[in-house]
Amino acid sequence: MAMRLALKGLGNRVMATIPACCWTIIDGAWPNHALKIPLMHTAFETAAIAASGIRAALDVKGEEDVTVMAWAGDGGTFDIGLQALSGAAERNENIIYVTYDNEAYMNTGIQRSSATPYGAWTTTTPVKHPESRPKKNIMEIMAAHRIPYAATATIAFPDDFVRKFRKAKDIVGMRFFHILSPCPPGWKIPSDMSVKVARMAVETKVFPLYEIEDGERVTINYWPEGRPVRDYLMMQGRFKHLTDEQIEHIQQFVDHQWKRLVHLHELTHGSLPEEAQATLTSR
Amino acid sequence: MSNNGNRWDPKKFKAGEIPDTSVTLTDSLNNKTGSWRSMKPVIEDKYAPCIKACPTNTLIPQYFDQLIRGNLDAAGWILLEHNPIPSVTGRVCPHPCELGCNRGRYDQPISIREIERFVGDHILDKKGIPPKVETGKRVAVVGSGPAGMSAAFYLRRRGHTVVVYEKEEKGGGVLRYGIPEYRLPKKIVDREFQALERMGVQFKYRTTVGKDVTVEQLLQEYDAVFLGHGAMKERHMGIPGEEHFLSGLEFLWEVNHGNLTPPGKKVAVIGGGNVAMDVARALLRLGAEPIVLYRRTEKEMPALKEEVERALEDGIEFRFLTQPVAARKENGKIILTCVKMQLGERDRSGRPRPVPVEGSEHDLEFDAVVAAIGEYVDTSFLPKEALDKDGWLVADRKTGRTPVKGLYAGGDAVLGPATVVEAVGMGRRAAEAIDAYLNGVEDYKPAPLPRTVSFKYIMTEYFPKAPRVEVPELPVEERIKDYFKEEVLGYDLDRAVKEALRCFSCGHCNSCGNCYVFCPDYAIKWVDDKPVVDYDYCKGCGICAQECPRGIITMEFERLF
Repeated sequence: MAMRLALKGLGNRVMATIPACCWTIIDGAWPNHALKIPLMHTAFETAAIAASGIRAALDVKGEEDVTVMAWAGDGGTFDIGLQALSGAAERNENIIYVTYDNEAYMNTGIQRSSATPYGAWTTTTPVKHPESRPKKNIMEIMAAHRIPYAATATIAFPDDFVRKFRKAKDIVGMRFFHILSPCPPGWKIPSDMSVKVARMAVETKVFPLYEIEDGERVTINYWPEGRPVRDYLMMQGRFKHLTDEQIEHIQQFVDHQWKRLVHLHELTHGSLPEEAQATLTSR
Repeated sequence: MSNNGNRWDPKKFKAGEIPDTSVTLTDSLNNKTGSWRSMKPVIEDKYAPCIKACPTNTLIPQYFDQLIRGNLDAAGWILLEHNPIPSVTGRVCPHPCELGCNRGRYDQPISIREIERFVGDHILDKKGIPPKVETGKRVAVVGSGPAGMSAAFYLRRRGHTVVVYEKEEKGGGVLRYGIPEYRLPKKIVDREFQALERMGVQFKYRTTVGKDVTVEQLLQEYDAVFLGHGAMKERHMGIPGEEHFLSGLEFLWEVNHGNLTPPGKKVAVIGGGNVAMDVARALLRLGAEPIVLYRRTEKEMPALKEEVERALEDGIEFRFLTQPVAARKENGKIILTCVKMQLGERDRSGRPRPVPVEGSEHDLEFDAVVAAIGEYVDTSFLPKEALDKDGWLVADRKTGRTPVKGLYAGGDAVLGPATVVEAVGMGRRAAEAIDAYLNGVEDYKPAPLPRTVSFKYIMTEYFPKAPRVEVPELPVEERIKDYFKEEVLGYDLDRAVKEALRCFSCGHCNSCGNCYVFCPDYAIKWVDDKPVVDYDYCKGCGICAQECPRGIITMEFERLF
């Protein structure tokens, strides 16, 4: 679904690289594949560098209108591919890098990744010892490279999603997308709840929708009315074991992160929209 | 390598050859995944609760949808399918639909009546198209109030010859001679009758059924007869001195005939129903000082809450828990002896029974007294076979059928004093039953209503909270001065559309496209601006059903046999 929306935003003149992730499977087995664009399967850690290479080759050939997109999971981005990604970002390669983040190594059996949030169950962080560290903030890492554009998006807000990809298409330089992508088996949710969970992540401010331009200018795109994180957590089997204290801990963490983000928005724009104040007080 | 450095051509691909890289030979459409499914989504329009709550079952979200798309005529025609006089109900309806409205459980219900009024006024002079085919069957309609108008409209639409018998010189019944001008301008009623005339409905005015012609004669002369004569007799209070009172209906009849002199300066209005409110508010506008006497409290008043509120806004004095027990005339004034009441146990209507407080008798002096304590149905002219042992007209609520073959009835004549919209609904249902009867259908039963979408199936995430669009009205100080000024000004197009956009459109697909956007496969196809499920690709994940904001898509188990 996310891929379709991304390509809707980017159009047909796109080439993609996909490292080891569940999209390798979705796309289909060699020598066929299901997307109507040229696509290269790469090694786990090399999505960004392979995309850079394709870009360079296209530039030599003079096909500058073709967008190159690397499409990787959270494992291939937050952990294994981070070095190549950081390199590409530092060189400001003219590519789009998309991480569709389902918060664990779902494809290989739901092992913890550095994108797994605090408290979550995975097969390597069982209920007795759930994830003890907060999720790595990939957006801040990418922003720290001072790349032209970085944004979050989710399938639950398709208009926002497509708008950001259209915007990104016309920007030259490294563009980064962080997409929250619910995984029904890994999150222990029924498949029909995928969109609802993604929406709830935004509504509870667990996953805010925002964009960072030039690594500094922060714009919050959606101001949720604010619901307790409990609503989001309790929709999913992977959080069922959480105690009230743990949920409160998560709530405080989320509130704090949100305040930080709002402050950055204020720094960028000089003021806050009307609906902002309510998001700081209400739960 | 097989391509020798040339561009890879998928069409020349042969089995056993190895391409340089994976290539797109087909796409996912090649892979029909529908067989993975155990549940399947079914797209089906259902009823919104407002439709169910409306006695006429008007397809409210459906005509809103057309209004929003800018097809005002189409919206009007949908509205007319179930309600022939939306300009009238758009003004005087107690809008039970708005009580049913799912949005009422979220922020505020949609202002359905005001939108109805706007669309009704739009179609008012366009409707009234004669039927294409004449059936040659003849139906008599007794009474030209809302029930009779509705029955005549739908019978004529089906090609029957319709003759309406009306004892007054103009048609409309309660719409013309009951409801005051400031709530329902008579120009609107005139235009409604012009539409009926354009359709070819015939009218016999100044003809009283039971006097000039009997029901038995009508039954012989026509193929069927519809009774919609209403409840036009005022109840008596049964207290001494009552002969000095005017009845509420009489007063309104006089006013609507152009007699605009109030019966006195200080006028008592006895009763707490809609007629009492109309009387009091009309009196105020004609320059009198009405005082409403009611034996219970404001909470128990049977009048519409809205009307009571307006009366209070007008500044009309209410004396609650006051019951007149006797009246006498002295020096041209009427002295009412009243007792104070207190509320006792609940009676059969569920309201507390008023009980007199001992020793609380007091006299009040008025120039005139209008009693509006309720109306009843005149059945004296009806065939005995159509009445039950208490003298009430017997008629099926769903079809209007009476025990007499070919005799149907609807509206207040059956229900006792009720609302315009109920009369309209019964008129239409009776017309359908009469049509079936004339076509020789024995044992006609109306089709059961579709399932209703309740609030829990509405995905409120898609609807930001928004208050109702304000209805323009005359300010209180202006409206109480003039009996002829309509007090509610109504929506214009912008307001009507803005308000209609608040509608959840429960159970009616308005082509929002959510299912199409969120389907992870290719299973939702877009045909003629509506979604259609392609079961070749649907894996039955259920996202479309979850994300449909208005409960149209339901998941059902696949049945193998």
